[in-house]
Amino acid sequence: MNSSSTSKKITNIILLLICYAFYGFFDLRALVMLAALSLFTYAGGSMIISSLKADDDKRAGMYAALCIAAQIGMLSYFKYAASVPLPVGMSFYMLMAISFLADCRKGKFPELPSITEVLIFISFFPTILSGPILKAHDFIPQINDRKRLTKERLTKGVWLVVIGLFMKLCLADRLAVSVDKVYATPLVYSGLTLFMTSVGYSLQLLFDFAGYSNMAIGVATLLGFDIPVNFNLPYMATNPSEFWSRWHISLSSWLKEYVYIPLGGNRKGTARTYINILLVMIISGLWHGSTVNFLIWGVLHGVGQMIHRAVCGNRKDAHGNTAIRILSMTANFLFVNFLWIPFRARDLSDTWTIVSRILTLSSGASYFYVYTFIFGITLIVVQFIGSKYFGGNDPIRPLPFDKLYSKVIFCTLLIATAMFAYFGSGAFIYSQF
Amino acid sequence: MQTFTHFMKQILSWIAAVVIAAAICDILCFFFYDPLQDLPRSAGSTTGFLLPESRGVYGLEGYCVAKTDSFGYVNRDLPRADEYYVVAGASHTEGLFIDASERYSDLLNDSLYDDGRLHVINIGKSGNYFSVVLQHLDGILGEFPDAKGIIIETDSLCYDTKALYDSMAQAGYDPEETAASIVSSMSSRQKLTIKLKQSLPLIRLLHKQYFTFLESRQDPSGSDILDPEFWRSEYEGEFETALDDLMKFIRSKTDKQVIILYHPAVRLEENGSMTALTNNAEPYYERVCKNNGIDFIDMTGRFMQAYNEEHIIPYGFMNTTPGDGHINRYAHKMMAEELEKVIR
Repeated sequence: MNSSSTSKKITNIILLLICYAFYGFFDLRALVMLAALSLFTYAGGSMIISSLKADDDKRAGMYAALCIAAQIGMLSYFKYAASVPLPVGMSFYMLMAISFLADCRKGKFPELPSITEVLIFISFFPTILSGPILKAHDFIPQINDRKRLTKERLTKGVWLVVIGLFMKLCLADRLAVSVDKVYATPLVYSGLTLFMTSVGYSLQLLFDFAGYSNMAIGVATLLGFDIPVNFNLPYMATNPSEFWSRWHISLSSWLKEYVYIPLGGNRKGTARTYINILLVMIISGLWHGSTVNFLIWGVLHGVGQMIHRAVCGNRKDAHGNTAIRILSMTANFLFVNFLWIPFRARDLSDTWTIVSRILTLSSGASYFYVYTFIFGITLIVVQFIGSKYFGGNDPIRPLPFDKLYSKVIFCTLLIATAMFAYFGSGAFIYSQF
Repeated sequence: MQTFTHFMKQILSWIAAVVIAAAICDILCFFFYDPLQDLPRSAGSTTGFLLPESRGVYGLEGYCVAKTDSFGYVNRDLPRADEYYVVAGASHTEGLFIDASERYSDLLNDSLYDDGRLHVINIGKSGNYFSVVLQHLDGILGEFPDAKGIIIETDSLCYDTKALYDSMAQAGYDPEETAASIVSSMSSRQKLTIKLKQSLPLIRLLHKQYFTFLESRQDPSGSDILDPEFWRSEYEGEFETALDDLMKFIRSKTDKQVIILYHPAVRLEENGSMTALTNNAEPYYERVCKNNGIDFIDMTGRFMQAYNEEHIIPYGFMNTTPGDGHINRYAHKMMAEELEKVIR
């Protein structure tokens, strides 16, 4: 054994201890469950790879099916049946554990990774609470091949953490104050207020989740890992299919690779393609939560994608005409925004109350939260810049610290975060799912 | 040597960046949060003055550009009338959340007279709750001898028997202690500190943010001041006697018109209604005030009517949440109208 290999093993063990300490800080009892699940996953992967090595494909498939079924059963129990709250981050790390088993089954690991690698993958602390959801074949090879902390990686990592912090503390948490208040008593407010609050929630959810993702990617970058972006100006999407290629990209990508494609994707005829799309979105809905609201949310997103596919075929981008693009973007935003109502509302009754009051423009107290307008307009400007100069992609990029102006922008963002942070709102939204 | 020079250049450029960024954010604060300077006082009509003839900006809750007069209060710079009303109370009366022209004291002033003079003097000061105002009654009467009447604003009647008796203990009055005298007696260091604070609102905002952060970490559970069981047992005791003693005490100090202006907090309910959060002390106050010739204005009915008929919520702003925090311009207008009825 050479010194480099020993040193990697030691750093891996240190990283694993940090991951477990981080998770244990949130929930010590759930840590035991995480460890047990990780060991179970490792044992499952070991049996699958051994069977594949013995050319026993059937047995490998059986092991994979049994282990994945057990994991889905455990997640379902905690999500839908257990009286105890869902352990924080379980929805995320369970998908990652399934990804490991599926990758083993698909032969993406000719040799079984070490137990430390598997444990790090499932408990990787920047992503364990709210993602992005990592795929085993993307992440595990990086553990022993971590990038050195160069000036560029340091710059990128630090910028992403600070931008994420700003998005969470200053934008999302500030919007949460208004959204929580209105959604708690929807009968108080006018239809127009409820509509504007639903827009506020669309923004809050984006800033909250994209903020967390940025922080997670930033920390991972500092640790030498490459994690792909999780959000790419999702409200710029011109149709439901494009939306899912821009929103929570890691979940969409996971569902595509481990559910949609194994179901046959679009290779088994039109009717089957539609069924597969609907199934994937129903799974996505149920993954988010156990209530009927999430089911409705998933079904309607599936139906939206089916209608888009029926009308426009397989193309995800909108037509070239700017006016049509803006119209499509607006229509798609309204569609997505409308579906965030059941996603956020307490129950079906509240959903119906909010939707019916919006559609009938009911009278009630008028309350238009000023930050919804400010942050909404800012996002439109960012989207315009992204559309005009960055090929429809997120224009916010880390600036190199060589120049004084980039240092000034960085320090201004840091001080502005301390100035405008809203304290008291609490947890990341997606850590509840 | 080259490495050292590069390192020093980097350090200096980071320091420059921090200074420039802080300056940018500080300038931003002049439009967002630049509070008036407090001048504590030992005795008198309030617990303190504000720095006379200064300007402040409040954008955390509502939005207000506030100016102080030469006396260290938040009044418009108008000559005082020969006779006037004095309005005392806490932050709701101070009104640093809305434009000065929308405050109930200013609305009342404009509705009573239109002669360019100040007929309603606002001495509202954050933290000067009902009991604190009463402790400064000697100060109010001493500082404003030409007052026709005193209006005491309060958002709570949650005072137990002991608190009612405690509020009779007077803070005293020193006619020599004015805002101008406090400013002129300041040391150069104190003056410099104020100048620095005025130039660096960023520091004050960050300081405020830090304490807000600490508060957000604390356990929110605590005793409910509106617990009906506590107040029921309190009312069964010596409460009404204590209240009567307090009103008699006020009357022993002055025969001017005294108005207690009460506006309860509200809560928005799931069924779409609004509830006034009271501890059911209003009937006691009404009865005792009436017996002692003190006017008691209870805004509960007016607030409820405005909500039920026009969906108007008296608390909250477009940059905070409805029903929370301080009274908004709708409530100020309603309070001015109710006061006008009693004064006339």
